[in-house]
Amino acid sequence: MSIPAVHFNEVSKRFRLGATHDSLRDLLSSGVRRVFRRGAGSNGRDTFWALRDVDFSVAQGEAVGIIGPNGAGKSTVLKLLAGILRPDGGEVRVCGRLAALIEVGAGFHGDLTGRENIFLNGAIMGMSRAEIRRNLDAIVDFAGIERFLDMPVKRYSSGMYARLGFSIASHVDPDVLLVDEVLSVGDAVFRLRCADRMHELVRRGTTLVFVTHNLDQMQSICRRAVVLDHGRTVFAGASREAVGHYLQAMSKAYTTQPTDMTAEDHEDVQAAELVNVRFVNAAGEELVWVRSRDEIRAEVTFRMRRPVSRLVVELNMRASVNENLISINSGRDGRTFDVAEGVQTVALSLPALPVSGGQYFWNVRMWDANRGTTELDTPFRFPLVVDDEGRATGVLCLEHEWTTLEKGAVRSVARSSVEPAAVRAGACCEDLHLQ
Amino acid sequence: MRALATSGGPWEVLGYRELLLSLTWRDLRVRYKQSLLGIAWAVLLPLSMMLVFTFVFTRAIDARSVLHVDMPYALFAYAGLVPWTFFSMSLSGCVNSLVANRNLVTKVYFPREVFPLSCVGSCLVDFGIAMSVLVGLMVFFHLRGDWAFVPSWALMFLPVVLLVQITLTVGVGMLLAMANLFYRDVRQIFGVVIQLWMFVSAVVVPVPRDGTWLATLISLNPLVPLIGAYRDCVIYGRMPAATGFVYATVVAVILLAGGWVCFRRASYKFAECI
Repeated sequence: MSIPAVHFNEVSKRFRLGATHDSLRDLLSSGVRRVFRRGAGSNGRDTFWALRDVDFSVAQGEAVGIIGPNGAGKSTVLKLLAGILRPDGGEVRVCGRLAALIEVGAGFHGDLTGRENIFLNGAIMGMSRAEIRRNLDAIVDFAGIERFLDMPVKRYSSGMYARLGFSIASHVDPDVLLVDEVLSVGDAVFRLRCADRMHELVRRGTTLVFVTHNLDQMQSICRRAVVLDHGRTVFAGASREAVGHYLQAMSKAYTTQPTDMTAEDHEDVQAAELVNVRFVNAAGEELVWVRSRDEIRAEVTFRMRRPVSRLVVELNMRASVNENLISINSGRDGRTFDVAEGVQTVALSLPALPVSGGQYFWNVRMWDANRGTTELDTPFRFPLVVDDEGRATGVLCLEHEWTTLEKGAVRSVARSSVEPAAVRAGACCEDLHLQ
Repeated sequence: MRALATSGGPWEVLGYRELLLSLTWRDLRVRYKQSLLGIAWAVLLPLSMMLVFTFVFTRAIDARSVLHVDMPYALFAYAGLVPWTFFSMSLSGCVNSLVANRNLVTKVYFPREVFPLSCVGSCLVDFGIAMSVLVGLMVFFHLRGDWAFVPSWALMFLPVVLLVQITLTVGVGMLLAMANLFYRDVRQIFGVVIQLWMFVSAVVVPVPRDGTWLATLISLNPLVPLIGAYRDCVIYGRMPAATGFVYATVVAVILLAGGWVCFRRASYKFAECI
């Protein structure tokens, strides 16, 4: 067996909570306190383990994804690999030249031109001047900034800035490339090109460690993945299975730390005040983690400050940053609600949620149709984790069937394993009904 | 197989020469970008200071009796101010070098010594430019007949003097950069201390040599023999006094060694504590 390119051997990393001494006055006062308290209870409580005995290795030329909820320790892993942090326990080994893309354009200086920054950042990433000169055209071309090459980067758009940063890093030609969630910048075309570039590097034998929340992209680039949760390895193995573990970790994160459901940012002039949004299954059990083929009901409970005879309710769902994937408005369905003062509940039933696995967020809006006034508009903060059971990547998870055509005859080869009533594209909008 | 970058030996920084040059170049470029006079400031700064002090000590106040200077005062002041500016500008760059590059410290790995070193490097370029003007100044006073300049072999000793100064500056600079990362008060204290330091380093006024305890204390300042050495080599054309210069060299080497060891020991905490 060849030597792994990256080896993480029972690595632990502890951080101190709260501020360390940033000024001498703090140091003096804490020193005085320590003298009086005789070192009582300074350990343990004010530190926390960002990583605890994390163990994995990456073979040479392999691409491995690192996924997990926020705060799971993903970035800490990368910083340990890059040598920026030092582990408090265990051993980190990296074999070969390493380039880390932890933040796009970390070394950029706004006053310098694009060209100057390419040389500076290239040097920071470990390229020699000769190498940079050789790759200059390719870097500029990939970033698409030819016309602005001699302009100070402080006048660049954020997209140009990010493109240039990624372009430089991807031309370092390292043995090991660390990438931390950078592809969420730039437009769709650039994101595709970044993904292509990563594919290309992996094909050429670069070892890749990729931290991301984008499960699709992770699955398309990495065959293996490590799932972290609260600083521990939850799963390490095939990326498809990893996604399931990730989603479970996500749903656990939400059950243990429920979002504060009471609206704190309402305006008093609005008639409705949100009390609660719940997702329940057919049996009426509350859920934070659903399978995309299961029936699901969203229940919106709110308090009316005054009666509204024609209330329009809208529920929207989006993935972390994108536009709405689903927007269902009772008004468009020709349905309004006559609600009295006090606590009310409106429920929306969906026969299935045919989206691919991932984390989604919902919001609620309400209008008074008579006055044309907005009576409620919450942020997208009601989470729902959907598990497609590994059947889809992309945006939707549609009911489908595979066949081969032979001499005009249709012979079924494989059928999607979905058992319940077929969900056709567009069905989600037709089959909904409000109670 | 190469072990992780952090475990690279103390000479690791030598492998990052190109990066050091790039960052030095960046410091210079940024310092003089968007300024009309650009790199001319390297000369204008000590030159204008020289004019200020010449005016103060030879016109505004009657200080000739206290200044036992046996050469044109402008020459004395400029020859002191150029190495002093190199020293003080380097250190004030070093103090901030880690904190100002927080983005790089927390996001990219390379030996952290590169930051203070590049500060000193960019000030060294300024020093070279300002030093060349000293030659012009000497020609000027020679032609006016105020000072007879005799070229001497002692000039060959100048690189050694410079090397000792760089050693001292890097040593102190590393300590300051590191200290300011952990405690931001260091920068404020430094601002006060550097002012005082200038007046006890024989930069614009000679230090007292009257045997009082204060004079003894001041003579412990390694910059006194160092700055004196510049005047000896360039203007007087003689070798600097051995005792003072050897003392300065020893102090410089100790500070560099101590500063470097401390810096390396602490550097793995930089990204967490910045």
